[in-house]
Amino acid sequence: MENIFGFISPSILSQILVGLSRTVILFIVSSGLTLILGVLRIPNVAHGSLYMIGAFMAYTVSHLFGGGNTGFWMALILAPLGVAALSFLAERSLFQFLYEREHLMLLLLTFALSLVFGDLVKLIWGAEYRSVPVPSIFQGYINLFGGLPFPIYSFFLLVMGPVIAILLWLLTNKTRIGKISRAAAVDRDMVGAVGINVNWVFAIVFVIGCLLAGLGGVLVAPTVSVTLGMDHTLIMEAFLIVIMGGLGNVWGALLGALIFGLTQSLGILIWPQFGIVFPYIAVVVVLIFRPTGILKSTW
Amino acid sequence: MAGSFFRTKSLWVIIGLVILFLFPVFLDRFYIYLAAIILLTGLCATSLNFVLGYGGAFQFHHAVFYGVGAYSAALMVLKSGLSPWLGFVVGPSVAAILGFIIGLICVRLSKLYFGMLQISLGSLVWAIVYRWYSFTGGDDGIHGIPLPDIISSPNGAYYFTLIVTSVSMFILYRMIKSPFGSALQGIRDNPVRSEMIGVNVRQQQLLALTIAGFFGGVAGSLFVVVDNTVFPDMMFWTVSLELVIMCLLGGWLSFLGPIVGAAIIVILRTYVSGVTVYWALVLGIIMMLVIFFLPNGVLGYLDRFMKKKVRAR
Amino acid sequence: MLEVTSLSKSFDGFKAVNNAGLSVKDGEIVAVIGPNGAGKTTFFNLITGVIRPDSGKVLFKGEDITGLKPYQVCRRGISRSFQVVNVFPRLSVFENVQVSVLSRQKKTWNLFTPSSRLSVDDTEKILENVGLTDIRDATSTALSHGERKVLEIAIALGGNPEFLILDEPTAGMSPEETSRCIDLIKQLKEKLGITILFCEHDMEIVFSISDRIMVMVRGSTIIEGTCNEVRCCQEVQDAYLGGIDVCLM
Repeated sequence: MENIFGFISPSILSQILVGLSRTVILFIVSSGLTLILGVLRIPNVAHGSLYMIGAFMAYTVSHLFGGGNTGFWMALILAPLGVAALSFLAERSLFQFLYEREHLMLLLLTFALSLVFGDLVKLIWGAEYRSVPVPSIFQGYINLFGGLPFPIYSFFLLVMGPVIAILLWLLTNKTRIGKISRAAAVDRDMVGAVGINVNWVFAIVFVIGCLLAGLGGVLVAPTVSVTLGMDHTLIMEAFLIVIMGGLGNVWGALLGALIFGLTQSLGILIWPQFGIVFPYIAVVVVLIFRPTGILKSTW
Repeated sequence: MAGSFFRTKSLWVIIGLVILFLFPVFLDRFYIYLAAIILLTGLCATSLNFVLGYGGAFQFHHAVFYGVGAYSAALMVLKSGLSPWLGFVVGPSVAAILGFIIGLICVRLSKLYFGMLQISLGSLVWAIVYRWYSFTGGDDGIHGIPLPDIISSPNGAYYFTLIVTSVSMFILYRMIKSPFGSALQGIRDNPVRSEMIGVNVRQQQLLALTIAGFFGGVAGSLFVVVDNTVFPDMMFWTVSLELVIMCLLGGWLSFLGPIVGAAIIVILRTYVSGVTVYWALVLGIIMMLVIFFLPNGVLGYLDRFMKKKVRAR
Repeated sequence: MLEVTSLSKSFDGFKAVNNAGLSVKDGEIVAVIGPNGAGKTTFFNLITGVIRPDSGKVLFKGEDITGLKPYQVCRRGISRSFQVVNVFPRLSVFENVQVSVLSRQKKTWNLFTPSSRLSVDDTEKILENVGLTDIRDATSTALSHGERKVLEIAIALGGNPEFLILDEPTAGMSPEETSRCIDLIKQLKEKLGITILFCEHDMEIVFSISDRIMVMVRGSTIIEGTCNEVRCCQEVQDAYLGGIDVCLM
């Protein structure tokens, strides 16, 4: 092993792995964002809040079930469903009445929702830091490349990424709702004209997108301290990722997340204080050459 | 008839200014401070509306220019050793340069890409200010910025704010009514057609974004005068949201809309924050109500209401 | 005045415009006709710089304007109106035209003089020419369809063009509005000396006002000639007029 990777320093390698596990979270969240963007054409600013709510719900559920392995698995199932239910409520009670209006109004509504959600989290869970324990089967480290410890949980994330990607591919390409929503992304009037209730297609896509945000929140919960404000950084990152990948393109989100995760993790190595600058530089460079993102945008 | 209308309009403006000038005579210190904050916030919202309501650009992170203007002015006063007055030139100029740079990157993009990238780049600026502890003071910000004597008293700060805001508002008004403003509104309504009648859409928008950045910076520098502090949360993206809501609430198709919106939001924030820590919740709910029930803003609503009355007669 | 040679453009392999050519002389009215989807609008978009051509050349007054940006093309003296009404919805009729005049007079970088004092006479003259003076202060959304189509042309005239491209100027107009619009087009040529290129579905209009006609089918120029030449061209009758013997018309 040491010989093979001899030309790259181990710290760079481990940093790449850190970047990749971050990529998984970013991909899951921004694929949901880009799905909603593509079909409903809403840049959902509240997406970050749903991610945060997912993490807080994971905390509550895992503690309800005693915090151990059961707690984690229950959280992984229940928290995204909780987020999905919440988003369904929001879509039916608010968004559906604005589809005919100017885009800006929809956008501002998601702004308003993110403010409301943020304060609701403060109201329910308080402003303290919360932590979700890593389930015992994923605890500990394995030594890589001659002695670099790498958390097992991150390997779990690295497996989850492709799993979600494949599920999304199946959803968009093999199911009826996926095909309808892809058609609606291109030409929503046409879909309405052939007798499909576009309104419900929108609702379903919106809920699936938000569910992904919640799932991202649950998966990230054991690796960070769950706290207010975690939505702000994430939504900016997710925005950049979908811009880079091409609005509405799920594979673009994957590519964007990869670029973002890697430039971020390697950037920190180069310039610890301002490592966050590097992903932004990547975005600007991408946009100079491709103003609508790397892959084809549905816009 | 147009002439007499113009005269009544300027008459109202003069009456308004006189009342504002007399504020320190009959209001106590806290209200003077509040009035100054309303004025400079209103200026900031108006500068945003210059590109948002009149220019149709999705400038979602305008607070960055406000914050950068304030920081530049404060740091200039604090660290350069030059005349503090120079800070009030440097602050807006740096904000204008930043407006130009972000504009240069964003202006080639379509509306939504513009908005999303603008907000992201803005939050990068915030993050840098937040982390650059040695230079900007990090999340503590900078306090107790020394100012020239004449504007360091509450009344001095108020009058300075009032004068600078009035002059800036006048300049912005002239710009909106100028051919540049006409072209800008044309771009808002129909960028494709604007290009077809010979307008260089990108250059025109870029200049507008730079101007908006400049006046955002002016507002920020005024905050330094009134509050004597700067802190990174001045340019947090929720502040930009508040600015957008001010424009929407007051009515973004009218020139004074944003300042009306600013007055409503600032007063509400002051009193609601005294009662509860959940100001964002209240703000979000207000915003939803405005989106659903008052899409043309307070002034837009009044305008329509008046027209109906006239017609009924 | 305008010389277009072998212009081509394809979208995803579909040849929207394929080897189209056209020449327009000073002071002429030239019509482009062809069935729906023949690529007439794309052809206009290529000339005015909205889309870049894959190959071919556009010469205007002897200068190469191929691939220039729309605003650059406009500044050379080519204006156009659109098939679908494409005005500035929140501005008044007067302001709609004024923006165009201001832009032509290169005043859009003027930041401090009130617009209300600039280019007013020029704007009013255009409004008078097209007959919109009575409704100068109405918002453009409040206009009837016919009025909006005229406003379309008025905006194009704001650029003080030597060469005017009209994309289906009478589409959707009532018969009465149509005849007024035709008079207007004739006047533009006779009074103002503007060279006009237009496309139109109504053959009666085409044959009554054009000096020459270019026929486009599936993106290519089939024939370019006088009304009579076009009327009797067998190819046109087969491809476009469906074999009806129009020579008798």
